[in-house]
Amino acid sequence: MTEKRLGDLLQAAVELELSTIPPYLCALYSLRPESNGTARLIIRSVVVEEMLHMVLAANVLNAIGGEPRVTGTEHVPRYPHELPDGVVLDLLPFCPEAVEAFLKVENPQHSHRAPGHDHPLLAGRRPDVQRARATTLAQGPTTIGAFYAEIIEGLEKAAAMLGEQALFCGDPARQITRDYYYAGGGTPVPVTDLASARAALTEIADQGEGDQASMYDKDGDLGHYFRFEQLKYGRSYLPSDDAGTPSGPEIDVEWAAVYPMIANPRGDDYADPELRAASDAANRTWSGLLRQLEAAFNGFPEALLAAVPAMFSLRDRAAVLLANPLPCGGGRHAGPTFEWARESS
Amino acid sequence: MTADRTAADQACDVVIVGAGVAGALIAKRLTRAGLQVLVLEAGPATAWTFDGYTEHLDHFFTALSKGPESPWPPAANAPQPDTADVRSGDGYFVQQGPNRYGSSYTRLLGGSTLHWLGVCLRMLPEDFELRSRYGVGRDWPIGYAELEPYYRQAEWEIGVSADVAEQEHLGIEFADGYDYPMCRIPPSYSDQVLAEAVDGMEVTLGGQRLALKVRNYPAARNSVPRGDYQPAGAVDERGDGQGLARDLGQRCAGNTACTPICPIQAKYNAQKTLAQADRDNLRVIAQAVASRVLVDPVSGMVTGVEYQRYQEPGSTRHTRHVARARGYVLAAHAVENAKLLLVSGLGGANSPVGQGLMDHPALYAWGLSPTPVGAYRGPLSTAGIDDLRGGSFRADHAAFRFDIGNDGWRATTGAPDSAVSKAVLGQGLFGASLRGHLEATLPRHVRFSVAVEQLWSPGNRVTIDPRYTDPLGNPRPVINYHIDDYTLAGMAAATGVYQQMFSRAGIEDATDPASSNWFPSADYDGRSFHYHGMGHFAGTHAMGTSAADSVVDADQRSWAHANLFIVGSGSFPTMGTSNPTLTMAALSLRTAERMVKELTR
Repeated sequence: MTEKRLGDLLQAAVELELSTIPPYLCALYSLRPESNGTARLIIRSVVVEEMLHMVLAANVLNAIGGEPRVTGTEHVPRYPHELPDGVVLDLLPFCPEAVEAFLKVENPQHSHRAPGHDHPLLAGRRPDVQRARATTLAQGPTTIGAFYAEIIEGLEKAAAMLGEQALFCGDPARQITRDYYYAGGGTPVPVTDLASARAALTEIADQGEGDQASMYDKDGDLGHYFRFEQLKYGRSYLPSDDAGTPSGPEIDVEWAAVYPMIANPRGDDYADPELRAASDAANRTWSGLLRQLEAAFNGFPEALLAAVPAMFSLRDRAAVLLANPLPCGGGRHAGPTFEWARESS
Repeated sequence: MTADRTAADQACDVVIVGAGVAGALIAKRLTRAGLQVLVLEAGPATAWTFDGYTEHLDHFFTALSKGPESPWPPAANAPQPDTADVRSGDGYFVQQGPNRYGSSYTRLLGGSTLHWLGVCLRMLPEDFELRSRYGVGRDWPIGYAELEPYYRQAEWEIGVSADVAEQEHLGIEFADGYDYPMCRIPPSYSDQVLAEAVDGMEVTLGGQRLALKVRNYPAARNSVPRGDYQPAGAVDERGDGQGLARDLGQRCAGNTACTPICPIQAKYNAQKTLAQADRDNLRVIAQAVASRVLVDPVSGMVTGVEYQRYQEPGSTRHTRHVARARGYVLAAHAVENAKLLLVSGLGGANSPVGQGLMDHPALYAWGLSPTPVGAYRGPLSTAGIDDLRGGSFRADHAAFRFDIGNDGWRATTGAPDSAVSKAVLGQGLFGASLRGHLEATLPRHVRFSVAVEQLWSPGNRVTIDPRYTDPLGNPRPVINYHIDDYTLAGMAAATGVYQQMFSRAGIEDATDPASSNWFPSADYDGRSFHYHGMGHFAGTHAMGTSAADSVVDADQRSWAHANLFIVGSGSFPTMGTSNPTLTMAALSLRTAERMVKELTR
């Protein structure tokens, strides 16, 4: 595999991890404040780990001398968004269908009933599906697991061919470390050689699906897939439980205590000028945040300090939209659209 | 941890009364050394689970008055003082004057660290030698050098953010190569504005010229870690073992609510330490009020702690039990420790038990800065001016320390809410002019809090009186308290200094205690000082070199009862101007070390 292709695959990995974040944030922010406390914690615990995965992928890309990009229409995901193995990410409020979709993302080997185009939530709301770079780069059909396996194999071959030092030629100062990344589902691994690259990429797969042999990852945390299953079953897993039969305390899931946002909203859906202005403001904040992240991935890790208030701000702007019923929307609410805005705030 | 197991009189190695910072640290050390520990906590354990903590947060959000107790309502059977009671004189404390004691504490699992600000200053070397150096107060039986290693341990146990380079002054020395576990919390914008005006300014105290400098203070709030230190986030204990919320609070997010409740638990509370104990060796029983310490009259050894267990915080129905062990620790609080000793008949007529109650009676000074300082943002405060904590002037009057607030005039006048109502109702402003007025003034609000030293004095004391009891029949603290001329002269000097600083910084002085939130006052030299308590209770079982004039020795071991340790800030013979928690923690770790050595022999 050429270094160019390795770089492309790793850039695709950064984008893939980024693309999982807005769907989780929509579900998270759609929860009304007074209930679904456990669901909130579960979704939050997963979304912060996706942020870690994006950082880990960026660290590997930086380690081989790449330049991770997360800004501009070329790199910012649009929804619906198709991942490898035909998984389609939609922006949905918290609902059983969204949870099913999360299960599919987190473990493509498990069967799922993610909603099709004809589902009432999605009817007419799944226009052009954007295909992820990971999908277009693949030679033939692939899964997310196979996608990461290909990267690891490519790194091993390139290291053997070029020599490890020559391959991992990136400036170590560009690595994101625990100095500026925290409270996000674990500690970022600084990548400087093959072993640390393998560790970083394995952690991505491991946190999602659990250890190959167990439902828990190496830190003893329940895998994302099983965390979400608890919402489906309304019951939590005990360490002694087998997959599919959680027997822990009941989890109170209130599907109705949610702002029912429309699926895959776009700024163009908001004819009302005030609503449109609120949506544009949210997108400027989102885009500003992405610029800060890109700066952090490209030699200015301290940019993450300022990115934290931007994340709070994004949450607040999303809440404004979610609390707004759409005029003539049949009871459906507005929501954040996560569209790239050239002007950011 | 079992909070609800039947309270059979199971034998254990050590019984600890009180699950605050001192009790938790000792429990952690002892259990990790393999000792079986039982902790009795008088208050409920409602903040222990993440959901429970969230309910306390909701309680705070909905409270009309945001005082230190607002998230932490009292349990009737473990009543606690409330700052509002200071005014009415009719609360848990029976206040006999002549001055009002202005502080409160929290009786819950976690103790007052649930509501503290998190300031973690070490005491100055001279604070331990006040009598020999300046002829006032008392000397400690141990000095700074002896305590220094334990200060280091305490800073790592609690998780303190600071830079040694900034803290090395006033004789405070650190071990070679040492630094705090986390970098300092970034200074607020108002800290920077004030530093620009004040740094390098000199004032004269006791004939000595002293230069002032704004410094960040060491804070028990999570920040960027050094080395491989792992900041401890929120405590999340749940039946299925999934600590989903533990990612919260790994860094301070500047919520401006350190006191009375950090919404994300980025600020240390003692529950974090309890969670780190060896849980197989730890039993905690909450809602268990220690009512008497039982002593063998011949040997003087403690044979048990009697306690009352209640199931419902709202009902006085309870059962009685006795906890027995080889060693006993009273870590219930300076006031509660004294009360428990007195009701057990362990403070005879000539014993100093209960005597020497201290606090840092504190003044507020507030004003309007010439330029915006970004008030009402960030942690409640991040920096202070502590150059006047030490010096030869202490022969004449109290030392003092300035805290710079990031919360504008909230504590002093109730702004920003009160500023709005004053503008609307008082000045008749509305619409654009109202907005303009608020935008022009609120960001310029500056507030200092000046903590003033108080000396150990036998007349300031906690006693008990059978006429005053709580719902379970336990005594309420009866408090005699007087702010003497030494402290009042310190207040007068502090007032002069803040006025010089305001004038140098161009801050228009708006200090007007009479028209602001109510505070008790004390008169001196024709002036009236309005003060508030800092919650820094100390001195009630002070340590010393002999049983004649002290209750415990340098290890906090009772002179009269060899297997009883009485720990906490009650053991302090002086407290200088540092917030007592860090020193209390260091002393507790030192005591724990002694106990482990003795009990694992």
